[in-house]
Amino acid sequence: MTNLRLVALAERERTVIQVGNVRFGAGFVVIGGPCSVESEEQMMETAIAVKVAGADMLRGGTFKPRTSPYAFQGLGLRGLKILAKVHEATGLPFVTEVLDTRDVSWVAEFADMIQIGARNMQNFSLLKEVGKLRKPVLLKRGMYSTLDEWLNCAEYIMSEGNPNVVLCERGIRSFETYTRNMLDLSAVPAAKEISHLPIIVDPTHGTGKVSLIEPMSLASVAAGSDGLIVEVHRNPSEALSDKDQALTPAQFSKLVRKVRALTKKMEEIE
Amino acid sequence: MNLMDIRNNIDRIDRQLLALLHQRMEYVLQADKHKTATQDREREAHILENVTSQASPLLDESFIVELYKFILVKSRKLQEKRWKLVGFSGEYSAWGELAVHAFGAGMVLIPCSDFRDVFARVANHDLEFGAVPVENSIEGSVTEVNDLLMGTDLKIVAETVIPIHHHLLVIPGTHHQEIKCVYSSPQALSQCREFLIRNKLEARPFYNAAGTARWLAHEQQRSAGVIASRLAAELYGLEIIKENIEDHPENATRFVLLSTQPETGPADKCTIVFSTPNRAGAIFDVLRVFAENGINLTRIESRPIRTNLGTFAFLLDFQGKPDDPAVSRALEDTKKKTILFKNLGFYREAPR
Repeated sequence: MTNLRLVALAERERTVIQVGNVRFGAGFVVIGGPCSVESEEQMMETAIAVKVAGADMLRGGTFKPRTSPYAFQGLGLRGLKILAKVHEATGLPFVTEVLDTRDVSWVAEFADMIQIGARNMQNFSLLKEVGKLRKPVLLKRGMYSTLDEWLNCAEYIMSEGNPNVVLCERGIRSFETYTRNMLDLSAVPAAKEISHLPIIVDPTHGTGKVSLIEPMSLASVAAGSDGLIVEVHRNPSEALSDKDQALTPAQFSKLVRKVRALTKKMEEIE
Repeated sequence: MNLMDIRNNIDRIDRQLLALLHQRMEYVLQADKHKTATQDREREAHILENVTSQASPLLDESFIVELYKFILVKSRKLQEKRWKLVGFSGEYSAWGELAVHAFGAGMVLIPCSDFRDVFARVANHDLEFGAVPVENSIEGSVTEVNDLLMGTDLKIVAETVIPIHHHLLVIPGTHHQEIKCVYSSPQALSQCREFLIRNKLEARPFYNAAGTARWLAHEQQRSAGVIASRLAAELYGLEIIKENIEDHPENATRFVLLSTQPETGPADKCTIVFSTPNRAGAIFDVLRVFAENGINLTRIESRPIRTNLGTFAFLLDFQGKPDDPAVSRALEDTKKKTILFKNLGFYREAPR
């Protein structure tokens, strides 16, 4: 691996990253929530369901990178205000994506954790901008990226002075068309061999299929992941984005129960 | 101009008309404090003569007379309610207004041009009360008010501590990337300095925070934001784009309520002003009196007397009840040891 001065494991201890009361790298972190913030009512209802199901953190996009310029682009700052309100009501910290360097400081004013999405993984000016903050960053793996390219992006953020990076495996493009992406679970133990940073898994984008999310979530626990990020919508068929891959609160609740049980079993085996 | 433009203008003028009528009523209430009887027929005749002289084809004499007779009747009705008037420095939605709300209901707010104006109008019996800030948790003493307290014959009758939360206000619908400059009072800007730096916003000082909100609503400038209270956002129809932008969330200001008459109800705190002869240990002698009587001091402030360099007066807040013998003893002793002594009054301490 190339010149990963700050990201490489070397002789370092594994890093624990604190987001509110949640600690990545110390216990298994479950993040749930909709693809997009659509309204205060939708977000509040989903957040309460996600909390009751036993999640630690909330997700929700307000600046959305959509394939089509005509698709719903997100609520922008209005969505951030909704997330902040929901955070106050539920106590759940939240992660949300930033797309534009001009929005970085504003998103940081509201969010507990900033996501760099797969499409922006190698947007180096954006990486440098979030690197100037101390706010934790969730760095998703680009859909065409090697492990080395991905870890170099974490190096970009850390080299600007922000040590709080959590990696997120979310699947890469392959010739397979049955799934949306190919979830590369081998990246979890591989990243842990190379780096001291925590890594979580996104089975929602990794498979794009509701039926595959639970088995891959359990597999990620077995692979040594530090957590999961899963899309949940109160009524997936009405979602403004990603409606085919969001879990209902009931499905999510079942998944969290199984994940927690397996995490406990894994500790017993170790 | 299309119909919508014309109607927008009419709506704007209605707002201005009502704001001016409101201001007129504020003066009507103050005038009542200087009159022996509510109705003054001579004055009313004079007003009618004055306004009818401005009659025009659009506003003929009968229109004006009818309008003003209505206003005069309503003014007298308002005066008969014998409202207690309380002055505060700044404009509506200023922190002083929030302090007045905390002091209690049933008082009419009267905006004053500055702290000096508040003191003067209470002393002149235009107003029953005045609400002024004495100290802030971040910036410390409000020196101008403390200087005025040193020289006043007014009494402190109550105190309250107001949490200060600054919000960034914009014209509704403004995109956050449009905002370039942020206007507010120098105090508010300095209390939100880190936020402004993080978001690369230029700070532009203005004489008071509430005034910037009114100015922004009038100017409709999308490149500007103002730092003001939630009350200001509601009053001027502005959008809070980011709340609680202060660098220290524990920001609070203590206000006192001034009156010409001392508080006679239950009290457990007192403020005094004194100056000591210029000799070694003079101030220590006074402080020892309080220590020996077991009285807890909550604030001590020194201000130059301004006669010559190096002469100071002291302002002292302490916890104590007026009927406590230890307190009376300490006050008597202090009087003997000082060359100037003034009791600004006993009042109830605000919870912190």
